[in-house]
Amino acid sequence: MLENLPSIVFYVLAAALVLSAIAVVVLPSIFYSAVALGAGLTVMAGIFVLFGADFLGVAQILVYVGGVMIIMLFVIMLSPQTRDNFQKHSLNQSLRGILLALASAVSLLQGFQVFAGMGDSVRDMVPTSAGLGRLLLGDLLLPFEAISLILLVALVGAALFGQDKLS
Amino acid sequence: MFELAPLLTQFFADFRGFAAARGISPDMALLISKVIQTNLVVLFVVSIPAVLVYVERKVSAFMQARLGPMRTGPWGIFQTFADTIKLAFKEDVVPEGADRWVHFMAPVVVVAPVLVCYAPLPIGQGLIPVDIDTGVLFILAISGMSTIGILLGGWGSGNKYSMLGGLRAAAQLLSYEIPRVLSVVPVVMLYGSMSLQTIATSQQGRWFDVIPQWFIFYPVIGQLAFLIFLISSVAETNRTPFDMPEAESELVSGFHTEFSGFKFALFFLAEYAYVFLAAAMAAALFLGGGDAPFSTGGIIPSWFWFLLKTFAIVFLFMWFRWTYPRLRVDRLMQFCWKFLMPWSFVNIVLTGFFVLLRMK
Repeated sequence: MLENLPSIVFYVLAAALVLSAIAVVVLPSIFYSAVALGAGLTVMAGIFVLFGADFLGVAQILVYVGGVMIIMLFVIMLSPQTRDNFQKHSLNQSLRGILLALASAVSLLQGFQVFAGMGDSVRDMVPTSAGLGRLLLGDLLLPFEAISLILLVALVGAALFGQDKLS
Repeated sequence: MFELAPLLTQFFADFRGFAAARGISPDMALLISKVIQTNLVVLFVVSIPAVLVYVERKVSAFMQARLGPMRTGPWGIFQTFADTIKLAFKEDVVPEGADRWVHFMAPVVVVAPVLVCYAPLPIGQGLIPVDIDTGVLFILAISGMSTIGILLGGWGSGNKYSMLGGLRAAAQLLSYEIPRVLSVVPVVMLYGSMSLQTIATSQQGRWFDVIPQWFIFYPVIGQLAFLIFLISSVAETNRTPFDMPEAESELVSGFHTEFSGFKFALFFLAEYAYVFLAAAMAAALFLGGGDAPFSTGGIIPSWFWFLLKTFAIVFLFMWFRWTYPRLRVDRLMQFCWKFLMPWSFVNIVLTGFFVLLRMK
C-alpha cells in the first residue's frame, strides 16, 4: 500500500482539483466561485510539490493564493453587487465556454503526448530553487527581464487609468 | 547537555526499531513516526497562545500600573485555561444575515495555515520538524493564506463593520507582505540558502572573539533588514499600531465581531500563533537562532536560547501594542509603499555590493 502512496496522494489531489474547478463554474455566487478557485490553486501547489517542483509550489501559493486571489476577493467585496444577486449564465456564454474548454483540452492532450515519454514523474525531492535561480539569471536572463518590462508597462498603465481626471 | 534534538532523534530511531521487531514494515514505521511528530508540532502550536495570552495580560497590566489577572491560581497563571474552558462552552451564535458556510469556513481557513507554518522552524540546533529547502519562502507563502480566512470572516458575517475590517485586512496584509518578503532577501543572499536551519547555523562564529556573527550585527544591512522585517511583521499580525482590520474603537473589532465561542477562540489562537511565528522567524533569521550570545560551557541548551530570543521579540510586539496609538489607514499604506518598499530595495542593492566585496 505504501509503495502506491504517491499515486494515492496524486489521485486524491487530482480529484480535489477537478471538483474545485467544477465548483468555480457551477456555484451560483461569484464569491463562492472565487473561494473555490483559491482552493483549486492551493491543491495545484500540492500537485507541483508532489512532482518534485517544490519552489514552483511555494511560489504558486505566494503569488496566486496569497496575492491574486486576495485581490480578486477584494474586488468582489468592493463591487456593488450584493450577495443574493446570483450570476446568470447565458446560452451564448456557455457555448463560448465549451468551445474554449475543448480547444484547451485538445492542446493539453497534445502536450501530454510530448511529455509522456519523458520518464518517471514521481521521484525523490531534489531542491529546485538553486537551479531555477541560475537559469533565470543566466541563460534565460533576457526573456526574464522582458517579462518584467511587460509587467512594468502594465503597472504604468494602471497608474495612468487610476489617476484623477484633471479637466 | 540538555539538548532535545539528539534525544528525540534517538527516541524515534528506537521507535522504528521497536516497530520493525514487531513485524511492521520500515516504511509504515516511518509514516507512523512522522504522524507522531506532526502531532507534537500541532500540540506545541496550540499551547503557545495559552502562554502568550497570559503574558500579554500581565505585560499590559504592568504597563498601565495594574496587577492583571490575580485570582485564578497563584498570580493568575490559570487565567487562560479558565478563559479557554469558558470559550469552549459558550454558545456558537451565527447571525441571521450571515452566510452559514462562509461563516463556518473562516476560522478554519485562518487557523489551518498557521499549523503548517511551524514545520520548517528550527527551535534550537537540529530541533526542526522538516528541514525544507525553501523554508523561509514556505512560511511566508503559507502564512499569507490566512488573509483569505479574514476576508471570508469579514464577508460572511453579513455585518458592515466586519466587511470594512475584512477590506482593510486585505489591503494591509497584501501590502505589508511585500516589504516583509523583501527584507528577508538580504539574509537569503548572504547565506545562500532558504532553509531556516542552514541560515541559523551559518550565523555561528565570532568577530574579534566577542561580537556574535548574527545577521543583525552586520553593519547597516543587518539593522535595516531587521527593522523592516519587525515593522512589517507587526502589520502582518494585525497588532497595534497596525490593527486597522480589528480596530476596537471604530470597527468594534472588525472581522471577528460576529464570531463567538470556539470560533472566536480559533481566531485568537491564530493571532497569537502568528505573533510567536514572526518572533521565532526573526530569531532564526536575524538573531542567530539557537546560538548563545556568550559561552556558557554547554550547560544552557540551544532551544532555551532560541525561546529566550523569541520571547524577547514577543515582548517587543507587546510593548508596541500597549504604548503606540493606532495609525490612520492612508498613512499606513503610504508608510508601506513609499517608505518601507524603497528602503528594502536599497537594502537588497547594498547587500549585493556586500556579497560582491566578500567574494573578491
